[in-house]
Amino acid sequence: MSKPRINQKIMPYILSAPSLLLISLIIVFPILYTFYISLTNMNVYNWFTFTFVGLRNYSRALFVFDAGFITAMGTTVVWTVVNMVLQLSIAFIMASFLGVKQLRFRKVYKTILMFPWAMPGYVSILLWKTGIFNVQFGLLNQWLSRFGIEGFMWLSNNVSAFVSSVIVNLWLALPFMIMIMDGALQSIDKSYYESAQLDGANWLDQMWHITMPSIKSIIGPAVIITVFTTFKQFDVIYLLTQQAGGKTGANIHTILTYAYENAFITNNYGYSSAISILIFLFLIAFSLLTRVKLRDNSKI
Amino acid sequence: MKNRRLKKKIGLLALNLFFVVVCFVTLIPVLYAFSVSLNEQNSLVGSTFSFIPKTLTLEHYKRVFTDEPIVLWFTNSVILAVASVTVSLSVAVPSAYVFSRKEFAGRKTILKILMLLYSFPSILSMFAIYKLMSPFGLVDSRIGLVIIYSGTMAVFGLWNLKGYFDTIPYDIEEAAMIDGANGFQIVKLIVLPLAKPSVIVTAMMVLIYVWNEYIFAITFLTGAKKYTLAAGLYGLQATEMSGSWPVFAAASLMISLPVLIIFFLVQKHMQSGLSAGGVKG
Repeated sequence: MSKPRINQKIMPYILSAPSLLLISLIIVFPILYTFYISLTNMNVYNWFTFTFVGLRNYSRALFVFDAGFITAMGTTVVWTVVNMVLQLSIAFIMASFLGVKQLRFRKVYKTILMFPWAMPGYVSILLWKTGIFNVQFGLLNQWLSRFGIEGFMWLSNNVSAFVSSVIVNLWLALPFMIMIMDGALQSIDKSYYESAQLDGANWLDQMWHITMPSIKSIIGPAVIITVFTTFKQFDVIYLLTQQAGGKTGANIHTILTYAYENAFITNNYGYSSAISILIFLFLIAFSLLTRVKLRDNSKI
Repeated sequence: MKNRRLKKKIGLLALNLFFVVVCFVTLIPVLYAFSVSLNEQNSLVGSTFSFIPKTLTLEHYKRVFTDEPIVLWFTNSVILAVASVTVSLSVAVPSAYVFSRKEFAGRKTILKILMLLYSFPSILSMFAIYKLMSPFGLVDSRIGLVIIYSGTMAVFGLWNLKGYFDTIPYDIEEAAMIDGANGFQIVKLIVLPLAKPSVIVTAMMVLIYVWNEYIFAITFLTGAKKYTLAAGLYGLQATEMSGSWPVFAAASLMISLPVLIIFFLVQKHMQSGLSAGGVKG
């Protein structure tokens, strides 16, 4: 009688053990180890002979402006804000246009607009890099050469590299946002608009009092997810401007490319680990702040 | 009255025109790569460029097979993807079921911790993983990468499946239990068939992640022999880009094709299989 009971108690742990073990091994333990490294001066010269330096790496990241972390943080914030504002407004306009009742080829347009989402991200970025922005055979410079402008290096100064990265990121991220926006706009009850029009409300009133409040709760989670992914974006800027051995000359760093460069290019492991931990703390604070609530609808 | 209808028609025409232009602009990078990959002449530089190649050729596609070990990379990608999907699902299904159905000490705490871990980009601990794995000979090994990929996707798998299991009514299972079915039978015969959309989407997400992952692959694998398609294409682009841009374009499109097919096949499951999971952040 007592045996199945014990079984019942232990069973959940046995069944979830493989998964939790894997997560501990690949995620939790490396994070703890990263924290450990962050307290040392480990770099390529003292791979084994490193010593503890306390919080020195952290103070260097946070208080030494020249170290570059603060700059990278600023760039990341600007990057996130610019991308989110553009993404939300463009997606909103596109979705509103797609919602026009008499638009007959809506489905065709939608399918084509989803295309960038379906392409493997790194392939798209590399195609943009070589096909569009390349100095010699990129499409942009071929077009420009017709106007007598030769060899503009899109990815080698900070401003145009940043703009290029934003464009590529928009290209990659807009399909998802348009889909979310489209779903949200379609869920609004059309009779609200009709009665508002009867009351003499203009377009702006309708936007402000009907559309915005109705879509806010629907697009909310998707927007938060996108803020996170934009903030953590690595591939676009890394592949476009700073591949190992193929730096284009621009020097824009988001916090992720900055952490990567310090770990794998300049081999400053202690410092890079401190940055990783700072980013992680920041992300935790951010997710607690946005109250991304844990949805638990379990039947127990 | 007539005037208004005319205005509406013009507006609609303009809207259609707008979408045609937007769709074309969206496809430019891919169309251009496609055109370059089929164009025989290497007259890439010059003002006579057009989207329609003048002389068609499959030469560049052939060269992808003859000059680059793409079949080998493809095999490596398939091995890694299948192994990672298998490992991910076989660890995620039982634990997701348990977290959805059973009450046990520590359950809530573990779920909360998992939620926080979900926001951690694995690239930040890549160096630590490297250093931890190298004494065990797991660097430059496929097993090492499978462990990394399954581990990275484990939180997602657990959450996504658990979220879907939560939406399946418990009554059916209770009825089966009364009929004498054991836990294993219940999961196999009742829960899994009902959770099919979510299992498919979870498997596809792992598959696509592994297929597209390049940064761990190029960091952990030293020889091009073990390279996956993603790592191989990255290398192709980084080393001999200027000479073989048409070959690179051809390879890019071929590598993307399976992912494109999978994406548009799974798209209809996407909404139900993913949104129910409640994975956020």
